[in-house]
Amino acid sequence: MKELVSILDGNTFLVSDRRGDIEPSLDFPTGLFAFDTRFLSSWLLMLDGERLHALSIDDAESYRTRYFLVPGEPNHFLDTKVSVIRSRAIGDSFDEELTVLNHSGQEMTFTVRVEIGADFADLFEIKDTQRKQGHHTVRIEQDALRLTYRREAFHRETVVRSSAPAAVDKMGMTFSVRIGPHGEWTTRLKVSTVIYGARGEDVRTRLPLAGSRSTTAIQAEHAEFVTNAPKLGCDCEPLAGAYRRSLEDLAALRYESIALGVRLMAAGLPWFMTLFGRDSIITSLQVLPFLPEIIPPTLTMLAGLQGHRLDDFRDEEPGKILHELRYGETAGFEEQPHSPYYGSADSTPLFVILLDEYERWTGDRQLVEQLESAARAALAWIDTYGDLLGTGYLWYQTRNSRNGLENQCWKDSWDAISYSDGRLPSFPRATCEMQGYAYDAKLRGARMARLFWNDPQYADRLEREAAELKERFNRDFWLPEKEYYALALDSDGTPVDALSSNIGHLLWSGIVDESRAARVAEHLLGPRLFSGWGVRTLADDQGRYNPIGYHVGTVWPFDNSLIAWGLWKYGFRQEAGQICESILAASRYFAGRLPEAFAGYERSLTEYPVQYPTACSPQAWSAGTPLLLLRVMLGLEPEGEHLIIDPYVPHGMGRMELLDIPGRWGRVDALGRSRTREEE
Amino acid sequence: MTEATEQFFETLPARAPQVLRAPVGGTLRIDLSDGHSTAHWVIRMRPGNAEVSQGPDEADAIWYCGVDLFERLVTGRAQALAALFRNESTYTGNVVLLLAFRRFFPPAPGTRDPREVAREHVRRAR
Repeated sequence: MKELVSILDGNTFLVSDRRGDIEPSLDFPTGLFAFDTRFLSSWLLMLDGERLHALSIDDAESYRTRYFLVPGEPNHFLDTKVSVIRSRAIGDSFDEELTVLNHSGQEMTFTVRVEIGADFADLFEIKDTQRKQGHHTVRIEQDALRLTYRREAFHRETVVRSSAPAAVDKMGMTFSVRIGPHGEWTTRLKVSTVIYGARGEDVRTRLPLAGSRSTTAIQAEHAEFVTNAPKLGCDCEPLAGAYRRSLEDLAALRYESIALGVRLMAAGLPWFMTLFGRDSIITSLQVLPFLPEIIPPTLTMLAGLQGHRLDDFRDEEPGKILHELRYGETAGFEEQPHSPYYGSADSTPLFVILLDEYERWTGDRQLVEQLESAARAALAWIDTYGDLLGTGYLWYQTRNSRNGLENQCWKDSWDAISYSDGRLPSFPRATCEMQGYAYDAKLRGARMARLFWNDPQYADRLEREAAELKERFNRDFWLPEKEYYALALDSDGTPVDALSSNIGHLLWSGIVDESRAARVAEHLLGPRLFSGWGVRTLADDQGRYNPIGYHVGTVWPFDNSLIAWGLWKYGFRQEAGQICESILAASRYFAGRLPEAFAGYERSLTEYPVQYPTACSPQAWSAGTPLLLLRVMLGLEPEGEHLIIDPYVPHGMGRMELLDIPGRWGRVDALGRSRTREEE
Repeated sequence: MTEATEQFFETLPARAPQVLRAPVGGTLRIDLSDGHSTAHWVIRMRPGNAEVSQGPDEADAIWYCGVDLFERLVTGRAQALAALFRNESTYTGNVVLLLAFRRFFPPAPGTRDPREVAREHVRRAR
């Protein structure tokens, strides 16, 4: 998996090896993908029958890469007479320019060969291969190869065209080229991906935004996205680098939804290049102070796709906000439930939280009015279908035993929720952070009901319910002997007593009793949870702890950003600062691009953060993390029509200034600097 | 045209106050084809209100759908978006109208309230 190079534009992306080749892979999505379909699974370049090797790669931009290649193994005595430049970009098509350079003083002849193949695998068929049900056809055309896949009316096509004359066969293209002394030869290969819809047209031709976006247009769009964001000036290089990288990655992860024709944020490369309820909402919360314009389309789309009926296959219920939307073959033929899938119990309260937070920053009351029925339906879901057992909590249990998610909280791997001794609890389960979100959603719903929906009685009711929930929660989830909140309740209502990072989310939601907050903060920054790089998902003395276990010991940057936000809310500025400092220090080892997760090893043991083996990168909520940390350090909080700025910059970070923070106040600047030891 | 489909369209105006709560507005035409002939159903939607008529009228969006598929949709045995993703039906125009309209489709026959199922499950486990 290492040594792969990815380029992307929205949810079209390409993953290849260090020389730019794609070879079919069963365990990792290599190839050219668009809308969950692999349009190229083989793409190999050969010169005189030999594979090439990379001297260097220029991949400074997300949508463009350039490879400098030579035949044979590069070694000390490299004295090649020929080299190849492979320059590629992703826009609405994948374009590759191949240039062969003759470095000798004589005319040379070469055979250039490009092996081409498309398996049209659905992203879900890569980890879990099955025989494809449709049929493939290959058609040879003038300097072009057309690869087609059909299953009933489902129709996908890859067309590869060469600008230079090519001998085309079913497996690729061959070029016999003659190059003069110190001359060069070039061909431009254009790979078009076609998703057939109504009357044989590509569905994307009808999208208002896409059209034919050239790389220049993409470049301009990215530049505008970055220009619109506040400007950061600071002494702390990890922060400056992470901020810059994050803005670029967030720009690249935006894609145009086939369904709504609006720009949405994909969750992460390569597995999650689609709309996720939870990920898109949390990313939106992180970036709201910086990029508020991305939020209305996200909220509108999530509201439009809100659950409306009971559907066991999709874990759908009226009022529920979706978990994951996919466009591929397995979603269409209902082999996977993602059309959309509703298997998350937290995205619904998070939807209400984001809508309220968005208005508090922007003053856009119109959106709150437009989405009133959706927000009310979400709040109603919390107390009806969300409360599976009728005990006043949010519970989950999938009704899709074939491919539904067992765990429907953010830690959604099968073993993520366990007792301290490692046993797995019974279903349904009620994890603690979901109760915090429900509490926050009710309070925020009450604010919107009072201010915008003209319904003070509803507001009173929601506030009363929130107060009751807080009381109930502090009674049922608190473990008096261990002095922290249980990770969950099992189906009997018994606390699932593992010590986990989830308790940090509780601070963010405000459901923690004041008297217990200090104990929670101590646990979060204590040696069992805090690795030195961040808070581990699971404490290192728990039964299932594994420093490289997906949700049972790794450190997730986004998780830490919410924890830092929570610590700040309860006044633990120094502790919040410690998390900001450690995560930003870790970002340095990833050139500013925080991965989805890194290993939970002790900082003193490894001295650098070890990346989780199959972590997604870039990942939207990891890219959003430096932005939220910046908000926490500068203490940015909207209050009425104003922005409160109350900085607490960790020791050693020096000065930081954030200029042109957008919001209902227009644009304002925030300045902060580290406290000296004496001031602390 | 099947009886279930006819009945479905007949009930839309009465159901609209419950179903069309979001600020949606526009005209959706559904072209139902059985391979020989096409019936055009026109639904004018606004919050709390749906008017149904027939004819090849202008519309903000057109949904092309087979008679059989539509029968499965109105009886809860198929799901609209999956049918679009597999290209069994096609759609052009403002998608917001489809997202609003799909709310009229019922759950699959025999679907139980998940709360009932979960509570039964817990009782059995004890």
